Amino acid sequence: MTWANRLRLLGGLVVVFAIVAVFTFVFAQRQSHATSSSATIVAQSYPVGTDYGGFVVEQYVDEGDEVRRGDPIVAVRSLQLQRDLAAGIVTASTVATAATAAGVDDDGTMTLTATVNGIVSDVAVAQGGFAQAGGVVAVVERSDSLFVEAEFLLSARDYGRIEDAAPVELLLPNQRILRGHVESVDVETVLGEAKSTLRVVSDELVDGESSHLIADGTPVVATLTLRDDGPFAGAVDMLSDFIRKIGL
Amino acid sequence: MGRRVAPLSPTNPSTETPSSAARLMARPAGTGHPLDESGARTRRTAGGEQSPVMILLVLVSTIGILAYGAFLLNPANRGDALPYTMVIIAETILVFHALLAMWTILSGGQDPRDFQMHKAQNLLFDLPGSAPGYRVGTESLPAREWPMYLHGAKVTVDVFITVYGEDPAKIRQTLRAAVALVGKHRTWVLDDGRSDEVRDIAAAAGAAYVRRLSSNGAKAGNVNHALSLAKGEFFAIFDADFVPDARFLVETIPFFTDERVAFVQTPQAYGNLHTTIARGAAYMQAVFYRFIQPGRNRFNAAFCVGTNVVFRRSAIDEVGGISTDSKSEDVWTSLHLHERGWRSIFIPEVLAVGDAPETVEAYSKQQLRWATGGFEILLTHNPLSPRRRLTMDQRLQYLVTASFYLTGICPLLLLLVPPLEIYFDLRPMNLTITVLTWALYYSGFYVMQILLAWYTLGSFRWETLTLATVSFPIYTKALANVISGKDEGWHVTGSGSHRSPFNFIVPQVLFFVFLAATSLVGVWRDVDNGVFTLATAWNATNTAILGAFVATAWREARRLRHPAPEIATTDAPAPPSEPITVVARPIGARP
Repeated sequence: MTWANRLRLLGGLVVVFAIVAVFTFVFAQRQSHATSSSATIVAQSYPVGTDYGGFVVEQYVDEGDEVRRGDPIVAVRSLQLQRDLAAGIVTASTVATAATAAGVDDDGTMTLTATVNGIVSDVAVAQGGFAQAGGVVAVVERSDSLFVEAEFLLSARDYGRIEDAAPVELLLPNQRILRGHVESVDVETVLGEAKSTLRVVSDELVDGESSHLIADGTPVVATLTLRDDGPFAGAVDMLSDFIRKIGL
Repeated sequence: MGRRVAPLSPTNPSTETPSSAARLMARPAGTGHPLDESGARTRRTAGGEQSPVMILLVLVSTIGILAYGAFLLNPANRGDALPYTMVIIAETILVFHALLAMWTILSGGQDPRDFQMHKAQNLLFDLPGSAPGYRVGTESLPAREWPMYLHGAKVTVDVFITVYGEDPAKIRQTLRAAVALVGKHRTWVLDDGRSDEVRDIAAAAGAAYVRRLSSNGAKAGNVNHALSLAKGEFFAIFDADFVPDARFLVETIPFFTDERVAFVQTPQAYGNLHTTIARGAAYMQAVFYRFIQPGRNRFNAAFCVGTNVVFRRSAIDEVGGISTDSKSEDVWTSLHLHERGWRSIFIPEVLAVGDAPETVEAYSKQQLRWATGGFEILLTHNPLSPRRRLTMDQRLQYLVTASFYLTGICPLLLLLVPPLEIYFDLRPMNLTITVLTWALYYSGFYVMQILLAWYTLGSFRWETLTLATVSFPIYTKALANVISGKDEGWHVTGSGSHRSPFNFIVPQVLFFVFLAATSLVGVWRDVDNGVFTLATAWNATNTAILGAFVATAWREARRLRHPAPEIATTDAPAPPSEPITVVARPIGARP
């Protein structure tokens, strides 16, 4: 071989090994991670309902309004309640306690209030509408109760590699990454694969942040870190720690 | 009293000698070769109808191809975009060429020799005006001096041997055979290698020796220069390593009785099947010369391959000489001739035996040259353009020629698919497809192709698959050269060089290393996941193929460093010790 070709071969070998090393790193990373088939941000929601059917005579909030515990949501005037009060079957105070209503007037008007601090996510019956007895008139999402519900299709082996409080990365639609961890795992087996539903919590899930992307119903991509059993586990961890440390 | 001349009867022992020598020479090398068949087989396949079994195989292969195509294109089977696109591009090109090749093969099977040609052949040596079969005054001449007549006029034929640094022993052998061709002709040695030794060989053999001052236009320029000296109506061209059969002129010149015939091409056959490279290359060529070129005859699109060919001088003059614009002068010249309405003839009869590229270097350079010619046509002279004056038949065939070497780039795409899955989990096909389903459709295409090749040629050579898989850097380089207009230096196709083969296969070595490392990662991945994947199996297979090629190159490098003398001597068939004379036997005079 000519020397030029020897050098070319040598340089080529270096490049090939570099490529293989990088690809293997990528592969090992993926090997110790699982990506959700579907994941979404979910909030704890508190429906506001009434056990007396009637017309909504006053609507105090709109969808998206922030409410505090005890703030009025809607006022419902119920003929049935008026009759019951007149007949003495119920008293205003018992109704108010049962319905967490702020007040009950003698004319059968009941003011329903928020039971938690949060955001009104839905007003099911607007002013002038008729609320069915036992129906939901509005829904309040509790603040700071956001979590992510993520579904993973894992092999049995990978399912066994989910550790307690395993770290999870959540990728928002705007490519921002939030860090969280697994709180609980539900599993059912479908065709030999573990269809796992993970509840992921994160301190960074603050309602309305990231241009309102952090909100109930936002789709995210959850990447779960599995316990790495592979031969390169230690090396890969060391390398990724190093990369993080030098700020790449 | 005149005598009946039996010019070329196969029973004539003296004319039979060279071709049986060629067969004997080829036989030990293997079975995938046009020469190693018995005479009966050669005659049966040479221009004969395709056998019904072959037609059946082609039909079944076509169904297999269609099923495979439907399988690939079915949206439900689609996998990740990147590997899927790569697979679709590669397989589209391969399927297109497989279908057109089968169509071409089925179209063949017509003997190009028509009544007029047979008549002209019968009368070739007969003095015009005399009774058929009788000649006066020539019986005392050796066969190489017998004048030839077409349409009652004496024709003059020049035989050019193009020389560029080939082995003098080889040149001497070729030259002897060329001088001894039956039929009066002049033999010229066109030496671009400027060797005094070659000049002495030419003088000893009784051939004219031409050495030009410049070497413009490589081989084409060499021939054009000789055309300014030689004035024959027909000229034959032989590369220095192609030893012609004595019947060469007798089998080809009569075709020119048709005034529209511009050239008659005969196959390139190889006698030196000692190395993996030579066997693989020769097998590839065997398919081309035994089935594709005869088929192209029907399309009037058989093209010249630069050696073992006879041209009509006036046709070449009409297109301004052999094309010198390209390194692939042969294909371009054929294209120019076809555009001017000339006919071409290919006869599938082996009339010259030469050397297949034996070394990696020779093979790489030969393929680079051929592929460059193809890509040049594809990119600069689109045969489908309405500006070309070609028939639809010719357009399609030249499109096949121009795009054929794209099939050589396809393995590059396919080699990269398994690593994509191993490293990135990107699959060309849907996850739900089982290995069995895939294997069924895949074999519909590939196994049928191999079966077809095996049936038509009587064997299948793994060397061909190896070469086809590992040659992609050559073709990619050719395509890049054509696009960028870069010119590569050329070398002889023969085996004169002693440079390490690794100079020419750096990309293949690197690919081998990459695939080997990827296979390791693939095995680790499968062990880790507890499932066996097709990607790992494929990748390991590809690694083995590239590894076999690198091993071949390594053996070749070792042989070049420590040459074994016996290889060089068994290489050459025993040259005829004296010029062959055809014994004229008195037949017609007997009762």
